[in-house]
Amino acid sequence: MNKETLIEVKNLTHRFSLSRKIAVNAVNDVSFQIYKGEILGLVGESGSGKSTIARCLMNIYTPTAGKILYKGINIHDPGEFRKNKKLLQTRRQIIFQDSASSLNPRMKAADIIAESLKIHHITPPRGTCQKEAAFQMQYVGLDESFLDRYPSELSGGQRQRIAIARALAMDPEFLAADEPIAALDVSIQAQVINLFKHLQQEHGFTFLFIAHDLAMVEYLCDRVGVMYRGRLVELAPAKELFANPVHGYTRTLLSAIPIPDPIRERNRKLVVYDESDFGEGEMKEISPGHFVLKPYKGER
Amino acid sequence: MMETANDSFQIVGQRPAPERTARLPKKWFQGKPLISIMILAAIILGCLCAELIMTKDPTYMDLQNYNQAPNREFLFGTDTMGRDIFSMLWYGGRISLTIGVLSTFISTFLAIVIGSFCGIAPQWLDSLLMRFTEIFLSIPSLLLIILFQAVWGKANVFSLSVVIGLTSWTSIAKVVRTEVRQIRNNEYVIASRCMGGNFFHILWKHLTPNFLPSIMFMVVMNIRSAIISESTLSFMGIGLPLEIISWGSMLSLAEKALLTSSWWIILIPGIFLITTLLCMTNIGNYLRRSGNQKESNL
Repeated sequence: MNKETLIEVKNLTHRFSLSRKIAVNAVNDVSFQIYKGEILGLVGESGSGKSTIARCLMNIYTPTAGKILYKGINIHDPGEFRKNKKLLQTRRQIIFQDSASSLNPRMKAADIIAESLKIHHITPPRGTCQKEAAFQMQYVGLDESFLDRYPSELSGGQRQRIAIARALAMDPEFLAADEPIAALDVSIQAQVINLFKHLQQEHGFTFLFIAHDLAMVEYLCDRVGVMYRGRLVELAPAKELFANPVHGYTRTLLSAIPIPDPIRERNRKLVVYDESDFGEGEMKEISPGHFVLKPYKGER
Repeated sequence: MMETANDSFQIVGQRPAPERTARLPKKWFQGKPLISIMILAAIILGCLCAELIMTKDPTYMDLQNYNQAPNREFLFGTDTMGRDIFSMLWYGGRISLTIGVLSTFISTFLAIVIGSFCGIAPQWLDSLLMRFTEIFLSIPSLLLIILFQAVWGKANVFSLSVVIGLTSWTSIAKVVRTEVRQIRNNEYVIASRCMGGNFFHILWKHLTPNFLPSIMFMVVMNIRSAIISESTLSFMGIGLPLEIISWGSMLSLAEKALLTSSWWIILIPGIFLITTLLCMTNIGNYLRRSGNQKESNL
């Protein structure tokens, strides 16, 4: 597999101050790489910092410490950002969880899809913005008749497809999807996941996929990172992680996957995570490509 | 019980819904302030086509027929300087409406830009600008208008519009700021910023269409209050000079008219002014109500 690094996250820390005294470390000293053309999944419970990482990657938040290198560009350095502004703004795109609030209720679908083209005054590859929007729309599996509709006239799945089409209109190199399927019902989830898989194979973009549905992550992703309370506790190829979880929290998380078989489901044992191997530590590679957070002192 | 066990499945508590006949669809004019719109349109049209309607030259002072009561020749009478009030009404309406629309345009533009900037700006800048706005709001606007006008010099239509516009943006700006604070955390604004949209792109494409319904009422009311300000100023003699005819400057003759007990000089321009204002209030109220309904449908 081609292992060219696209994004390198180094010791990323992001702190939200709630008041003068209380601050929450949403992301705490996280380092990892995203390789070109892979699908990296991030899983973890609510509040574990998955979305914060995605938003730091997209320059929505400026991290408290640490840096993010996108093709060697430090994206949070104002000077370097300005120099590579166009590249960073066009080749990175994000898809949000709530499709209702990520589309402007007073814009038509066609205008939403073509918005970024208009911002950067790019001549669309298919002539006019309208044609480009129609093309992208068919690409994500929607009929051209939806072009003149407002988001409030569409269903959740259709709206999410419009959001995907908007991201794809710029032909992105890196796509961050912040829980894109969490607000959809199961049948639509399957459709959207298959759409992602298909699009990724055709476009070959690099994809950061954030979810809390482990089955979907196993199906879609090449590598999976597990987050817990702001730290990345384990990072491994998907097959390896699901077959051979090492970190205590990963085991707990995987044991919580419901099994669609009543007999086995009843006998399923939940592992309780005791946080004994959580805390300050560093990522150790225990087998090729399999990293685990280990405390500094003493091998357990 | 055994016999009924194989019966087809039934939902408990389900009742056949009574058949409803669909109501006639609402006609396009139902629920709209039609009379107000028609009267206002007639007044605006009359002012625009003043040359066709006027029976006399509104600026000509006919010294032989001054202070005439309404009669066949002078439909609404003449004022103390012998000018035909009927012609002056249409001719002067132009000036009043121009001042109303122009100053509203200026104040709305200012309000949207300042309000949105406050809404997007960081906390400290927002507080600073809002306190400044509140100080501005706490000074009576008439005082400010007089001050600005004194600085500007001799009043004309344009200067009066600018001065009124400069003093009436505060309340709209406060509404805009509150709305923008709510809208700016929506993900479509964040996404647009990620794509590289600058402040004016976001303002124009995302913010304005979403807060426009909630300020529409205030904008229409602003036209109204601008016309009132103009009349007030002209009445007090610090607005437009007497030779520029507007509804306000016509009313400024009222004190002389009271002495000669010529009611038509006060009453007729007054009725015109009040009718226009009432129509605007009515339309503004309708806009507010329909805006609220649409919000709840979204």
